[in-house]
Amino acid sequence: MNFRPTIVAFLCNWCAYTGADLAGTSRLKYAPNIRIIRIMCSGRIDPTFVLKAFQQGADGVLICGCHPGDCHYQEGNYKCLRRFKLLQKYIAQMGIEKERLQLEWISASEGKQFSELVNNMTKTMLTLGPSKIKSSLEVEYIK
Amino acid sequence: MSIRVNPELRNQLIQYGIGDWNACYHCGTCTAMCPLSEEGFLFPRKKIRLMQMGLEAQLESSVEPWLCYYCGDCTKTCPRDANPGELMMSLRRYLTSRYDWTGLSKKFYTSETWEIGFILFFAVMVVLSFLVILPSFGFRFTTELTAQGGVKVNSFAPIHIVEKFDWTMAIIVASLLISNILRMYYKIIWKSGQEKVSLFVHIREFWLLIFNFAVQPKFSKCDDKNYWISHWFLMSGYTIMFIVIVVYLPWFQTEKILPIYNLQRLLGYYATFGLLFGLLVAIIGRARREDVKFRFSHVSDWLFLFMLTSTVVTGILIHIFRINGMAYATYIAYIAHMAVLVPMILIEVPFSKWSHLAYRPFAVYFTQLKKYAIPR
Amino acid sequence: MEEPRIGVYVCWCGTNIAKMVDVEAVTTEVGKLPNVVLAKNYKYMCSDPGQELIIKDIKGHNLNRVIVAACSPRIHELTFRNAVEKAGINPYLFEMANIREQDSWVHTDRTEATTKAIDLVIAAVRRVLYHEPLEKRSVSVDPATLVIGGGISGMMASLEIANAGKKVYLIEKTDHLGGHVVKFDLTFPHLSSAKQMMRPILQRVENHPNIEVFLQTEIHEVTGYVGNFKTTLRNKDNEGTELKFGNIIAAVGLKPFDPSKIEEYGYGKFPDVITSMEFEDMLGTGKILTKYGKEPRNIAIIHCVGSRNKKYHEYCSRTCCMAALKFVHQIRAALPSTNIFEIYADMRAYGKGHEEFYAMTTHKQIMFLMYDQQERLPVIRQANRSDDCNMIIEMDEKLSGLPIEVPVDMVILMVNMEAHENVKDVVHAIGVSLCGNQFFIEKHPKLDPVATTTAGVYIVGTCQGPKDIPDSVAQARAAAARILATIEGGTVPVEVTTSFVNEKLCCGCQTCISVCPYSAISFNEIKKVSEVNEVLCKGCGTCGSACPTGAIKCKHFTDLQILSEIEGIMSMSY
Repeated sequence: MNFRPTIVAFLCNWCAYTGADLAGTSRLKYAPNIRIIRIMCSGRIDPTFVLKAFQQGADGVLICGCHPGDCHYQEGNYKCLRRFKLLQKYIAQMGIEKERLQLEWISASEGKQFSELVNNMTKTMLTLGPSKIKSSLEVEYIK
Repeated sequence: MSIRVNPELRNQLIQYGIGDWNACYHCGTCTAMCPLSEEGFLFPRKKIRLMQMGLEAQLESSVEPWLCYYCGDCTKTCPRDANPGELMMSLRRYLTSRYDWTGLSKKFYTSETWEIGFILFFAVMVVLSFLVILPSFGFRFTTELTAQGGVKVNSFAPIHIVEKFDWTMAIIVASLLISNILRMYYKIIWKSGQEKVSLFVHIREFWLLIFNFAVQPKFSKCDDKNYWISHWFLMSGYTIMFIVIVVYLPWFQTEKILPIYNLQRLLGYYATFGLLFGLLVAIIGRARREDVKFRFSHVSDWLFLFMLTSTVVTGILIHIFRINGMAYATYIAYIAHMAVLVPMILIEVPFSKWSHLAYRPFAVYFTQLKKYAIPR
Repeated sequence: MEEPRIGVYVCWCGTNIAKMVDVEAVTTEVGKLPNVVLAKNYKYMCSDPGQELIIKDIKGHNLNRVIVAACSPRIHELTFRNAVEKAGINPYLFEMANIREQDSWVHTDRTEATTKAIDLVIAAVRRVLYHEPLEKRSVSVDPATLVIGGGISGMMASLEIANAGKKVYLIEKTDHLGGHVVKFDLTFPHLSSAKQMMRPILQRVENHPNIEVFLQTEIHEVTGYVGNFKTTLRNKDNEGTELKFGNIIAAVGLKPFDPSKIEEYGYGKFPDVITSMEFEDMLGTGKILTKYGKEPRNIAIIHCVGSRNKKYHEYCSRTCCMAALKFVHQIRAALPSTNIFEIYADMRAYGKGHEEFYAMTTHKQIMFLMYDQQERLPVIRQANRSDDCNMIIEMDEKLSGLPIEVPVDMVILMVNMEAHENVKDVVHAIGVSLCGNQFFIEKHPKLDPVATTTAGVYIVGTCQGPKDIPDSVAQARAAAARILATIEGGTVPVEVTTSFVNEKLCCGCQTCISVCPYSAISFNEIKKVSEVNEVLCKGCGTCGSACPTGAIKCKHFTDLQILSEIEGIMSMSY
C-alpha cells in the first residue's frame, strides 16, 4: 500500500485555527493528511503533546501560532518558539528527523499560506517516509 | 537639469480658454481612449500635466496638440470632467500665439478689443479704398450691362489690379505663416535638443505634408467620421476658391455669363457648397452645444465662423446680382465681400484659428521626422 | 463520576459536508465506539429542528455528553453550548468536530475526507470523555470609570459616561484639556472653527459634577481586574490619592512625527520649513509670515512626512491629506495671490465629504505635484542669490516624469501621527498590547475595535491608530456605551476556562509566575505554592505547559483532554 503520512497539527484558536478555517471558506484545496487539534494559544503546547503524537504514529507534527507580536495572549507564541527549538533537538536525539516537527506563524488572514504549508509539509513527509518511532517503541515493548 | 515650475503660467493659459484645468488627477483614461495617441506621442494627459505645472518650454516643443482632432472621446470618458479635449484645443490656441513672432496672435486671442478693432480697421480701409482711392486707379461704378445682361464687374474691379492685390496679400500672409512654421520647426525639432534628423529623411517624408493637407487622414481616425467629411468639404471648397482667386482670377472673375455646366461655374458652385456645408455643421454644432467638440466656444471660434460665413454669403450675392444685372447691388456686395475677406485672411491665416491649415499637416510631418530622429 | 453517555450528531450542512464526506459512514463508524449511546446525522444541525433533536435526545436517552460534527467551532460552538444547556447539561460537556472548514471544503477525495471526518469525530469522543462541568462566573462592577487622556476622545467619552450619571476620573498629563484639537484653527472638510467647537465641550467637562479632572497627572500602575481596578495618583497636588474604578478608557492620543529625522527636508536647518502643527499655531496668531517677517510668495505643503515610508512609518496617517487641503483655504484667504504647491504622494480623500472637499480645493489655483515615496523624496535646498525665493525644492515629479524644481519661501511638512512616546508606561499599567507601530491593539480589528483583550480596558482615539475627529469621537462614545452597559448590568462575566493550581502537586518553583502575561499568578508565601487569580487569568494555558510537576490544570484544555484527543485522532491511522 502507498504510504499515507499522518500529520498532527496544533493550531492556536485566534490566528492559525482561524486561518485554517479561512482556507476552508476560500475553498482552497490541500492534502487530506492533516489532523488539526485546537488549543487556545501556541503557548499551551506541552512537549508531551508533541511526543504523544509521535508515539501514536504521527509522521509529522505541525505547530502554528500567531505571528510574532500578534499573539492574542501577548507573548505565548514566543514561549512556544523556545520550546519548539528545544523539542526539535530532543526528537532528533530520539531518532526522529527534526523536519518532522515544524513551527509556522499563520495569521487569521493567511488561509492560502496555510494550505500551501500543509501541502509542502505533506511532501516533506512523503520524502522522509514513515516515521519509525512507533514501530521501534513497539519492539521495545514486546521485549 | 531640473526644470523650474511656473505657477503663474496658468494665468496666461486661462485666457486661451483653459477651464477647470486642475480637475485632472491623471488617471490616463483620456490617453487610453484616444484613437490618435501613440507610443512616443502620448496625449492628452501628458500635455495637461505640462500645463498644470506651467512648463513653458516643454509645452512649446510639443507637437502632440496638433495631432488631436478633437473628437471629444476623452472629454466624454473623463471621470473628473476635466475636459481634456478642450484643454488640447486651448493649447493649440496658445501654441499658435507662441509660434507667432509678431505678438499679434497673442493680442487677438487674449483681447477681444484688439481682434475686433483690427477687423473693423481693415474693413473700413477696404471700403474707403473702393470709394476714395481705387476709382482713380480705374475702378468704375457703371450701370452699363454686358450683352448678356450681366454686370460689368471687370470695369468695377479691373482684374489686373485685383490680381496684383491678391498676390500681394497671398505673399504677405504666406511669408508670415512660413516664418511661424519655421519657428514651429525650430521649437519642435531643432531646439528639442535630443535628436538630429537627416536631410534625406526631411525630403523622403515630405509627401506626408501634402497628403495630410489634402485628406486629413488622421482626422478620419476619430470615431465619428461625419466631422471629418464635413471638414473635408469645407477645406476642399476653401482651397479651390483660394486657388481660383489667386492663381486663376482672370479665368474666374468674368463678365461673360458662362453656361451652368461650364467648369468655372461648377467649381464655384462646388466650393460654395463645400464651404456652406462645413460652416453649417460647425455653426449648428456650436449653437446647440450638444456635442462635446462644440460645447465650449472661444470668442475666436465664433468670430472665425462669422467672418467666413459672411465672406461666402457676400460671394454668393455677388454672383446672383451679377448675372441678374443688378449693378450697384453687385458693387456693394463686392465691397462687403472684400471688407470681410481681407481682415479675415490677415487675422485668421497667420495669427489665429485658420493657421491650423498649415500647422496640422506640418505637425504630422514633424512627428514623422521625430520618429526617424537619431539621438544626438 | 457518572458513566459518560455520549450523543454524536453529524451534520450534512446541506451538501456542504455531505457532498465530500459520507456522513452515513461516519455515523455508523462512530456509533460503534464505547460510551457512544447514539450517533445520528441530520441535514442542518444548527437549525431549530437540529437543536431540538439534541435537546430531545438528551432528555430521552439520558445523555450527559454531546458532540456535533459540523462547521468550525468558531461559528457554532456557542449555539450548541446554549442548546445543551437548555437541556440541562453543562455547556462545557459539549465538543465540536470541524468537518466542514477543515475537511469537506478543503479536500477533493471523498474516501480521504470521510476517513478524516471519522478521525476527527473519534478524537472529539475521546476528548469529551474527560470534559468537566465548569461554572460561569462574574464579578461586580465599580460604577466609576478612569479616562486617561484629556483630548477630544477622552473628553467626549467622559461626557457620555458622566451624563449618564456615572463618575469619571479624567487624567491629563499636560496642564490643559483639549489635546491637539484645541490648538487647531479650522477643521476639514467644512472649514468650521475648531476652537468654537471645543469651547463648550471644555466648559462642560470642567464643570461637570460627575467628572473629576486631574491635570498634570500620569498613571504609573493600575491594580485589580475588570470591575474592580485601583490606582494611586502620584503628583504634587494629589499625592497618594487613591482611585477605584470598574473600567478604563485609554485615550492617550498621538505625537506628531519629528521631521528632523528626514534629512532631505532640512527641518531645523531652514527656519521657514515648519510642521503642520507649527503652522496651526501660526494660523492661530492670524498672520502667515516667514521668519523674516515677510509674506511668503510661494508656499509648498509636503504630504506624507514620516508616513507611508518604510524608513519611517509604513502606515498612512489618514488625516494629513485633508488637513493639507484645509491649509490651502486658509492660505488663500490670508494671501490671495500666493502660489501654493501641494507636493503629495497620493491624495487620499476617503471620508464623508472629503472627495468633494478635494474637488472643491482643486479650484483654489494650486499646483499639485506628485512624488514617489519609493524613489526619491523631495529635497529642500537654499536658493541662490539670483533666485527670487528663499528655498528651492528639487523633486522627481511622478506624473510628468520630469525632474523639476519648485521655488518656495515657506514649506509646511504634513507630519505623521505617531504613537505617544510615554505609551509604554500606560501599556504596562493597564495591560494592553501594542502593534508593530506602537498603537494599542483592539480586541478584534473589525467586530470589537474599542475593547482590548484585557477585560474592562477600552481604547479610543488616535492611540488605537491614526484617525480624524469624527472617528475618534465615534470610538469614544462607543466605548462609553460599552462601559455604561456593564455598569448597568452590575456584574461582568469573567473567563471560565482559566488555570487552576493543584496545591498538592505544586513545588513552588514559580515558573508559572514568570510566564504568565497577565500577572494572574501569585505566590502564596505561607503555603509556598502558586495561586491563580481566576479573574485576571485569560486561559491561554502557557503556565500549564510550563509547569514541571503538572500541578497546573488548564480548564477545558487539560493535559488529559488533549492527550486523549491525540490518541483519538490517531486511532484509525494504523
